[in-house]
Amino acid sequence: MFRTTLFALTACLLQFASTATAQEKFSSITGPLDVTPVAKSEPIQVPFITWGGDAATFYANGGLDTKPDSIYGKAGLKLKLTPGDDFVQQVKDYMGGKSPFLRGTMRMLGQASEVIGKDPRTKPVILLQLSWSAGDHIVSREGLKTLNDLKKDGKKAKIACQQGGPHVGLLYDALAAAQLTNQDVEIVFVDDLTGPNGAAEKFRTDPSIDACCVITPDMIGLTGGVDSAGTGAEGTVKGAHVLVSTQNMSRSIADVYAVRHDWYEANRDKAEKFVAGYLQAAVQVKKLRDDFEKSQRLSPEYRNLLTQCQTIFGEEVLPTLEVDAHGLLLDCNFVSLPGQIAFFEQSGNLSGYNSKMTAALDLATKWGYATSRRGFDPSGFDYRKIAKLANIEYVEPSRIVQAEGVMEFPDDDFDDDTIVSFTISFEPNQTDFSVDRYGAEFDRALQSASTFGGAAVVIRGHSDPTKTLVQLLKAGIEKGIIRRTGQQGSYKYFLNTQNGSNELDLGQTPALVKLIKTGAFEGAADSPLQTMQAALNLSHARAEQVKQAIVNYAEKKGVNVNLSQLQPVGAGIADPVVSKPSSMAEAKQNMRVEFRIVKVNPETLTESDFDF
Amino acid sequence: MHRLLLAAILTAGSLIQASAALAADNLNVVVILDNSGSMQEGMNSGGPRIAAAKTALQKVLDQTPDSAKVGVYLLNPGRKGNWLIPLGPVDKSAINDAVSSLRADGGTPLGKSMKSAADALLKLREEQRYGDYKLLIVSDGEATDANLVERYLPEIQARGLLVDVIGVDMAREHSLATRTSTYRNASDPASLEQAISAVVLGESGADASDAGESDFELLASFPSEMAAESLNALTTLANDPVGTSGRNSYSANPRPAPPVANSPHFPNNSAPVGNQPGGRNGGGGFSFGKMLFLMVFIVIVLRVISFIAKRR
Repeated sequence: MFRTTLFALTACLLQFASTATAQEKFSSITGPLDVTPVAKSEPIQVPFITWGGDAATFYANGGLDTKPDSIYGKAGLKLKLTPGDDFVQQVKDYMGGKSPFLRGTMRMLGQASEVIGKDPRTKPVILLQLSWSAGDHIVSREGLKTLNDLKKDGKKAKIACQQGGPHVGLLYDALAAAQLTNQDVEIVFVDDLTGPNGAAEKFRTDPSIDACCVITPDMIGLTGGVDSAGTGAEGTVKGAHVLVSTQNMSRSIADVYAVRHDWYEANRDKAEKFVAGYLQAAVQVKKLRDDFEKSQRLSPEYRNLLTQCQTIFGEEVLPTLEVDAHGLLLDCNFVSLPGQIAFFEQSGNLSGYNSKMTAALDLATKWGYATSRRGFDPSGFDYRKIAKLANIEYVEPSRIVQAEGVMEFPDDDFDDDTIVSFTISFEPNQTDFSVDRYGAEFDRALQSASTFGGAAVVIRGHSDPTKTLVQLLKAGIEKGIIRRTGQQGSYKYFLNTQNGSNELDLGQTPALVKLIKTGAFEGAADSPLQTMQAALNLSHARAEQVKQAIVNYAEKKGVNVNLSQLQPVGAGIADPVVSKPSSMAEAKQNMRVEFRIVKVNPETLTESDFDF
Repeated sequence: MHRLLLAAILTAGSLIQASAALAADNLNVVVILDNSGSMQEGMNSGGPRIAAAKTALQKVLDQTPDSAKVGVYLLNPGRKGNWLIPLGPVDKSAINDAVSSLRADGGTPLGKSMKSAADALLKLREEQRYGDYKLLIVSDGEATDANLVERYLPEIQARGLLVDVIGVDMAREHSLATRTSTYRNASDPASLEQAISAVVLGESGADASDAGESDFELLASFPSEMAAESLNALTTLANDPVGTSGRNSYSANPRPAPPVANSPHFPNNSAPVGNQPGGRNGGGGFSFGKMLFLMVFIVIVLRVISFIAKRR
């Protein structure tokens, strides 16, 4: 729900211009920074931000200052948790040795990468992934149905987004899913994440804005809910709806803790205890949260935690415990121990550390935050040791989740739930889909499945209807419903009715449709309905073949894949691009397999051992 | 050029083969088995028809692929009702018990049975969506409820179910022969097994290959909007039970159905068949429904005449 990371201060300091083209480098915002060694005194200053994932840090620490009987206290750590919503200030404290820690998202670290990575002492070591966000959204107006529509018929959509915050990464991923860049849209940067200077208010007051990146409360304010569309009443914007949400694009925003390289080298044991303590706390916090979600009974322990969050973040941010504070935690997908292993160690994880670092540096350099690429280091922890320290079971994540497709789509109507789509074509009578020809599309499908961990990847096969239409005419002739005259190349067709014979024209369409619907063309050797069914079966078989080719490709490349996300579907001849092809070139337009990223209830996906 | 053509033919051939295999794998078929009294009669060559049917069923069901779903529906209920083998994956361990219990006794209520079997297939198609869906009628005579056959057959076909017929040892073609997808006549046990096997194990529903160049010429003068509407009509198949019609049956009847003939149940084709529903011998003729309708009609006519007479 709330990612009220009040980057307002950052934004004020940044004084970003209001368009994407006038991007300021991060080093210009911070000004020159000297590197100072980290103070050896305790407590160690650790920043936190306004996010559900940080509730586990409070829980592990027993509050802002380490309590002796807390998880961190018992581990011998002495920490002081300090507000870090001003990320620029965080960077200054980090460089100046006030705190060895940075708390942000991978993309935020990417934006600061040139500043923090220039000196080897401050090169970030990523210690921990706290969570994936499920509480950030792009809301759009009525005309935009999918991410593909952000650039449609040459028109660039105007998107309001807070500068320098977590939504820059959200927008980057959403554009990338549709194979667009910041050059394909017009980004209107705003100062704040929320409030009067936030993206939601800009969207509400400026009709030229087509979409905005918002947190959950603002999304509800604009649309009425994640599955609703605004009516114009009670502050909602008529037609406003969620274009994409991190509930579905569930592996976009990775919240992390990083530490300075020099501090890490000198304090590896403390770093391990910090991570182990967090993971131990996260298990317990998740259980408290999920128990309340099921029972709706607030246990004393969970009440204490929510009250603590409310006290730390402020009552203006979290007015109520059961709705706002609990909602803050619901918006956060905690990353468990298997998730840490999956993130940091699995090379085939397309949403893992390497992928996210590459994407963060891409964003930094392409969007003008940095001119050089300066990466981070992973911690290289021994996770068996971490599991022992955390007193939790060591479980390795799966690389391939074996499962059936997430759901059936009996009505074939995904339009309302499609987030983004792309298509591959095939040749007539093609039965195999080789990596040589379709490798790029397979990569895109696998990347989509990974980034959109809370969505289904519907692989939808289509058939060309030519054969079926030919069968319709043949059956009609065979049964005496239709008469044909003329020679090859200049045939004429007549509908035999009680009033004689009339050449087929549009006026007879209702009569022809009625005949089809009453089975008049069936019962002969040529059966249009059987040909239609055969085309449906074949389109499904092709979708299955494509799915299998992707799975084989993933296995060969060592790429993680959750098979419960992949859903092959046959559309048959129901949705042709060209209804009556007049040439093979037109028929080929119908011979296609569509990939659609479709919203589903993330709980229907099998992710127990794949929780990253 | 020749090479290209050959390659195209080979590719198309392999695709059709592949789709045929796919169809066999995804076949959903209900065998409507005539177990009327006449099936006790001997075949031209071999023992009783029912014995040949049993043997053929046992062999064919034993060979069905695991992915196929097959049911056997009896015209006359057996010990466990009409479903000798319920529609679903074939439990091969239970085939022998089920089939050996089969007895031939009763009439030929084919129309009623077609509806029950079709409804089961439609329910399955509602769940599965993909695959081929067939009714295979194995019968040695005409229906005793021909009116229901007339009513239900077009509705079944309008829903896209394929209807195949095997005439068992019939001297004349079954009246459904020209109105269904395929018709085979089996006059001996071997040909009966072959015919059942061909439908249940070895055929795809249709050629599912992609278009060839000549197809575009055939369609050239077919208006595009009409084609689009036709596709809409073809792709909105109803799965509601037969008789409740989402799709009303076609009544224009451009080709009148052949008259229902009495089934010749004897090798010499001489003896007419009794047509009492529930009697030992199945056969065609005047159905109970028609009789009832006629009686009601006569009563109404008499009443009208007496009313007119009274007024005078």
